[in-house]
Amino acid sequence: MLELSLFVILALFIVGGAVATITNRQPLFSAFGFLVSMLAMAGVFGLLENQFLALAQIMVSVGAVVVLNILSIMTVNAKEENLPKELHKYRWILLSAVLVSPVTFLIYKSMSMAYQHFSRLETVSTKVMGERLFSAWVLPFEIVSILLLTAMVGAIVIARKKDVIAKETR
Amino acid sequence: MSTASVLVAVFSLILGALLALLTIPVLVWLERRIASLIQDRLGPNRTNIFGFRLGGVVQSFADVVKLLLKEEYYPSHIKMGRWLFMLAPVITFSAALLAFMVIPFADTLNIGDEALRIQALPVDFGVLWYLAIGAVGVLGVVYGGWLSHNKYALLGAARAGSMVVSYELPLGLSVLALVVTYNTVDFNAMVQWQSGTFFGFLPAWGILVQPLGGIILIIALFAETNRNPFTVAEGESEIVAGYMTEHTAMKFAMYFMGEYVAMNSASAVIITMLFGGYQLPWVSTEMLLTHFSSFALAVMVVLPVLVGIIIKWMRKNNTVRGSVSTDGGRGFETKVLSSALIIMTLFIEGVFIYLGFFTENILANTLAVALFQIMVFVVKLMLFNIFFIIIRWTVPRFRYDQVQRLGWYYLLPLALLNLLVTAIIVVGVSS
Repeated sequence: MLELSLFVILALFIVGGAVATITNRQPLFSAFGFLVSMLAMAGVFGLLENQFLALAQIMVSVGAVVVLNILSIMTVNAKEENLPKELHKYRWILLSAVLVSPVTFLIYKSMSMAYQHFSRLETVSTKVMGERLFSAWVLPFEIVSILLLTAMVGAIVIARKKDVIAKETR
Repeated sequence: MSTASVLVAVFSLILGALLALLTIPVLVWLERRIASLIQDRLGPNRTNIFGFRLGGVVQSFADVVKLLLKEEYYPSHIKMGRWLFMLAPVITFSAALLAFMVIPFADTLNIGDEALRIQALPVDFGVLWYLAIGAVGVLGVVYGGWLSHNKYALLGAARAGSMVVSYELPLGLSVLALVVTYNTVDFNAMVQWQSGTFFGFLPAWGILVQPLGGIILIIALFAETNRNPFTVAEGESEIVAGYMTEHTAMKFAMYFMGEYVAMNSASAVIITMLFGGYQLPWVSTEMLLTHFSSFALAVMVVLPVLVGIIIKWMRKNNTVRGSVSTDGGRGFETKVLSSALIIMTLFIEGVFIYLGFFTENILANTLAVALFQIMVFVVKLMLFNIFFIIIRWTVPRFRYDQVQRLGWYYLLPLALLNLLVTAIIVVGVSS
């Protein structure tokens, strides 16, 4: 009973945060909605007794993604009058929700199929997780790191000023 | 769940909360007295309750009363998000408080066939918890500064955010090097690893095994806690009070206390990861338990000497000039505190005499060792807090661009190199 009520509260926070993310006009309030949603998600992982996943969720989603998002929003520092008008916002949100509803239904169906596996899930210790990651899953891990490296190099190249590149190639 | 496990869990939780919250007034007092010492003055020493001044700690409680009774003032230009403006200091404070909760205060208690952790939050992934929760604290700073609609506050918030982004990397990498060395993410296992010796005679403390990583960790934690010489998020000469310019009364107090709790957690992490945590150098828990009689004898010899020095110092210093007619209850305070200390010493001596020479109770011995380790931990914690404070009042603060250059150009490559060398050595030793 305690678990169920905790889950309901966390789920309300997840959904509420997600709604706040898309309905708020100020980007920083949207970021706060995203933050609440991510923290509640970590709470759900904690309820499933997978503490490593919960902490990884906080570290990656909150510590890295949200902080970087907020920093970039603050660097842009859009004024109130410069924000887009967003006419008929709720109508568009409703329309897009209807458009993606097949995908939502699919996710719901697959998740309800997978429920039996989740309920039998044994607690995976951090040590086992690390060992699996660096033995059985080492190739996907390396592929992901190469992808990240490529993205990083690309971002640096895009962010550099054009004349600096021109000067160096000359 | 036996009675012992419940008792130990409740005791550890209370101990964690007390160590985090009750050190705030003590730290504020230490900060002021040490600043005064460095600047050749006395600092707060007059506030008293019925003549009890306790060296001036009472001043901090007077400050708390002042902050609680102040008017809750809202700048009228803050139109939207007033709830978040109020919530922001709470986020910072509670993140700092939660980060402290995974520090082990003593070694694992073995009662019966149960192993009970003396940790407010008994988990075996303390390092991950500290890094994860520590990252949440800056969000309160950023939101508080941004919602103030104030240029200084916005600049302070942006600086705090970018500081965290640039120092999170060296911090994480130096912690990773230590994790590779200790082969665990459990704070308690780290402390146990450090109880051995290194090269035969040095204690195997993290700072000696991992000197470069340890120094990078200390510098990065100084930057994360926003202490001097890294106070870029606030600065009277350039951006006033930074992100807390518009915060008043209890909202300001939350930020202020959050800073001290964060400093306390940072010192706790430093001593746990680098300076042997709750253990004395060269002395492990098993050693204390097997040679309990000699340990009890050592405590019985050292404790009266220490208490004698304290009482003598108090007699000498807790007085007024000869020309002043009334001593404001100082003689009375000295008398009461001296007798309290002497009674406490006699009690502890009695307990140790009984435990060391008249009985062979393993459980009582374990508990005595655990209490001793908690005392060692508290002393080390306070020493490191004093180190933080001395650095703040003796080192000039860096300019913002200097701080960023230090983080990106020097600490990050050094931390990467350190991690690489550590990994090579660890793999070489184990294979």
